[in-house]
Amino acid sequence: MRPAAPIEPTLTEYSSVDSSPTRLNPEGSASDNRRFADFRGVRWRIDLGILPDSSSIYDLRRVTADSRRRYAGLRRRLLTDPQNGSNSPGLVMDNPLSQNPDSMWGRFFRNAELERMVDQDLSRLYPEHGSYFQTPGCQSMLRRILLFWCLIHPEYGYRQGMHELLAPLLYILHADVGHLSEVRKLYEDHFIDKFDGVSFHESDLTYNFDFKKFPESVDDGIDSQISPLKVSNLDELDPRIQDIILLSDAYGAEGELGIVLSEKFMEHDAYSMFDGLMSGAGGTVAMAEFFSPSLGGSHTGLPPVIEASSALYHLLSTVDASLYSHLVELGVEPQYFALRWLRVLFGREFSLEDLLVIWDQIFVCDNTKLNKCSDDVGSSVGVLSSARGAFISAIAVSMILHMRSSLLATENATSCLQRLLNFPSNINLKKILVKAKSLQVLALDVNNLTTLLVHPGSFEPSKSVVVRGHSLSLNCISPRTPLSLVPESYWEGKWRDLNKAEELKQSSSDKQVPDRKKDWSEKVRFSLSRTESAPSPSKVDSSKKDPKLCVRRNLLEDLSRQLGLEEGSEKLRCNEDLGPKDPTSMYVEVYGQDCIGKNNSSTVEERCLSGNAGSEESNSIFSDSPSPNDDENQSERSSVATNLSVDENEDESNNVESRRMHVEESPLPVSDSPEDASWKSGLNRDSVGKTTARLDSSEDVSLKSGQNNDIMGKPVAAFKERKLLSGKFQWFWKFGRNSGEGTSERGVSEAIKAPNSGNDQSNTDASLTVNGSNSSSVSSKGDAVDQNVMITLRNLGQSMFENIQVIESTFQQERGQVGSLENFSKNVLVGKGQVTAMSALKELRKISNLLSEM
Amino acid sequence: MVLVLALGDLHISHRAPDLPAKFKSMLVPGKIQHIICTGNLCIKEVHDYLRTICPDLHIARGEYDEETRYPETKTLTIGQFKLGVCHGHQVIPWGDLDSLAMLQRQLDVDILVTGHTHQFTAYKHEAGVVINPGSATGAYSSITYDVNPSFVLMDIDALRVVVYVYELIDGEVKVDKIDFKKTTTTQVAH
Repeated sequence: MRPAAPIEPTLTEYSSVDSSPTRLNPEGSASDNRRFADFRGVRWRIDLGILPDSSSIYDLRRVTADSRRRYAGLRRRLLTDPQNGSNSPGLVMDNPLSQNPDSMWGRFFRNAELERMVDQDLSRLYPEHGSYFQTPGCQSMLRRILLFWCLIHPEYGYRQGMHELLAPLLYILHADVGHLSEVRKLYEDHFIDKFDGVSFHESDLTYNFDFKKFPESVDDGIDSQISPLKVSNLDELDPRIQDIILLSDAYGAEGELGIVLSEKFMEHDAYSMFDGLMSGAGGTVAMAEFFSPSLGGSHTGLPPVIEASSALYHLLSTVDASLYSHLVELGVEPQYFALRWLRVLFGREFSLEDLLVIWDQIFVCDNTKLNKCSDDVGSSVGVLSSARGAFISAIAVSMILHMRSSLLATENATSCLQRLLNFPSNINLKKILVKAKSLQVLALDVNNLTTLLVHPGSFEPSKSVVVRGHSLSLNCISPRTPLSLVPESYWEGKWRDLNKAEELKQSSSDKQVPDRKKDWSEKVRFSLSRTESAPSPSKVDSSKKDPKLCVRRNLLEDLSRQLGLEEGSEKLRCNEDLGPKDPTSMYVEVYGQDCIGKNNSSTVEERCLSGNAGSEESNSIFSDSPSPNDDENQSERSSVATNLSVDENEDESNNVESRRMHVEESPLPVSDSPEDASWKSGLNRDSVGKTTARLDSSEDVSLKSGQNNDIMGKPVAAFKERKLLSGKFQWFWKFGRNSGEGTSERGVSEAIKAPNSGNDQSNTDASLTVNGSNSSSVSSKGDAVDQNVMITLRNLGQSMFENIQVIESTFQQERGQVGSLENFSKNVLVGKGQVTAMSALKELRKISNLLSEM
Repeated sequence: MVLVLALGDLHISHRAPDLPAKFKSMLVPGKIQHIICTGNLCIKEVHDYLRTICPDLHIARGEYDEETRYPETKTLTIGQFKLGVCHGHQVIPWGDLDSLAMLQRQLDVDILVTGHTHQFTAYKHEAGVVINPGSATGAYSSITYDVNPSFVLMDIDALRVVVYVYELIDGEVKVDKIDFKKTTTTQVAH
């Protein structure tokens, strides 16, 4: 249509200035198709339930007028001027010194108090935005609205932050009015002439009038004749413009009071929007709840905002368990930062322009309560129980995920909070919103599960708010997690099955595999999108970052490929799951008689159990990240043992093979641990799995290698060994930390695995445990034969020497390869790592010499 | 809007033990911005008490005040009004409107607050106001024993002043209200 042509660019131009959804909206098309796409104020009013979502302009105008009348009445009632109300009969009551709280003066003093509080905040509201929010007109409007709202809702009163919820609402109304005047300029004739046209029914008159007006805007004569002709008929206009004209027609329904976009009634509209936002308009997300210190309607006995923020953590725990456990370990309670995020709906974290886009998305979501089951169960996590609430928490989680790597790099709560509270300003809003959209589904799912679980008594309504919830230690099973719904975790189940009959195992694994798989793939997809979206710079090891990153990319590709495969057929996964099972069961059978084997398996089982119990969600894929690690360690350990040919046999190597298979898939969950925090998270994971204090390396050793000896009843040897080993291990840890790369290369792995960060850790682990396992196996053998300590030690030394040789040879090979390494980026580090590694080896050799001499 | 409390002639510990309890319960901090006192507090403790109600205290010296540093007269400007305070025993005849009007012109004030007679009076005179808040404790005066405790609260807002008169009659607080409007601003233009 010709006349629309000159208008369209202007509209879009305006909207781009205003950063309206047309530009930034991730689903721009979807929201563009909605009515009043250009008028955010109208859209929000519909979304917030202030205006009916009906097609009739008449309805819109009527409801608008009603809400304005309500506000005007409110204003009349509440604005007290004690001096003018002087004709009140009871001067005894209505005097400035009256003690009666209901007296006019009493109210006046209360209001004055409130106003002072409000003013304190308003004067600091968007000070850089001085143009609008700091104008006296806007300030007084904001002040009045807040004052009235607080007077109407004395149970909430005024709380800091409310003004930041209100300000954007007023702003968009202001922007809408500005937009309207632009449109009005373009379609001046319609805004002005409609009444005349109607009254005269003289189309010629209108045409002539139009004709006079248009020539400036249109270039050639033909167009100038056509365009007024077409535009003059209201029905032929772009329906959007038509709506706008009808909305702002002073002669429509309700007259001037019904003009939906009116500068005169901005205050009225802003109030009704604010009220709608605060009260939730019958939905679940009522912002006022976030400000209330009292217990909400929920049964958890917690203020709603605390509840909501723990719900947010909960979502995080299902999406990214490692980050979650990192935060919990640091003691970063969710409300420390979520309070601020939720109360002002992220107003502090984003610029106003971005905030409007976020709010667009939030308000679009339905606010009605979703799950029906929550009614009889009684409580759900309040904030999550509607689509809008779910989306809000999804945004929060995606914000956390956005900062994932930098958060994982933090070592104490203070710095972690510092990063959480200083959300980066240069963010890709679109990515966050897209991620939030995808998380929203999960949030709703999670919520559904939570409703079943939460009850009863899972929440201790503890007095101190801060203590509860997420300060749960890692080792205790959180009752809150929905995931413990699933009867047993994969690994738990697997290890239990090992001790049971074959058919039992078969059935249970069949049962578990499908839903686990789905969960897993979902999770991996998340982690995929995360890693792709946030390659944020690591602060710890910027030098190491690059090689790992690209490796990670490769791995991601593999992963996604695998994902695709898996979605295609569940069978594959089943096979994978069942595959390792049989050999391991063989392993158990074979070693059943052997007490060493038994001990081994039982400890591993223990470990896995505790690992699963420790990690809070048992069916999440992340929870078995400790166990794969363990397995890996085990397999590496045993493989070395076979290499050294102590006395282990084909069964074990068989087992190793099967484990390998396992290992091949186990790194996958590990792979999403970010590069910078790899070491730390590796540690965490290990410690979770083994439920031992990680820092105490001697403890560690005793777990890893000393157990057997303990049980074999050779306390002396065990003790000595452990002492030695612990010393060595400490040293080794340091070593591994310094040159993770070198170690991993050296690591016995002729392995097929891609050396990603997670693997680095596990390899290091493995190579570290090598010594332990060697010694233990050797020692146990020696013990079994003759109980000579000296022989044990000598054997140990010998095996160590052999071990070192193996390592050195690998090293030599690698040095030869250095030039032609596929992993070219490693070159930088190799030199340094090798030097340290070589010196470390020398040290080792000394020790082994010493040992064998004994 | 500014609330100014005007009171005086307490004669505490000489002629009266304390302010009436009902007055004390009404005079709470936070509402009143200024206190104008016509003197004869007599002891320092009363001065301290008044400061708890409002720290901005303006006192003229009465003949029984222990504190000798209080000035005989004092003027201050609140909003658009200029206020003067004097105890009033210097103005003879005591409580005479013409003599007080002379003092008002002398001080060049819109509102003159005086005491000494222990009787509440308020006159509108020559585009100004002359107010006597009476005795806040109801202490007897040298003229009469029949004294009701009373004080005055002025609500000054722009060109308007509303005078609330609080009087304790038979154990009940009676409140009265007098409205004054300033017609010209030229007087305070300097």
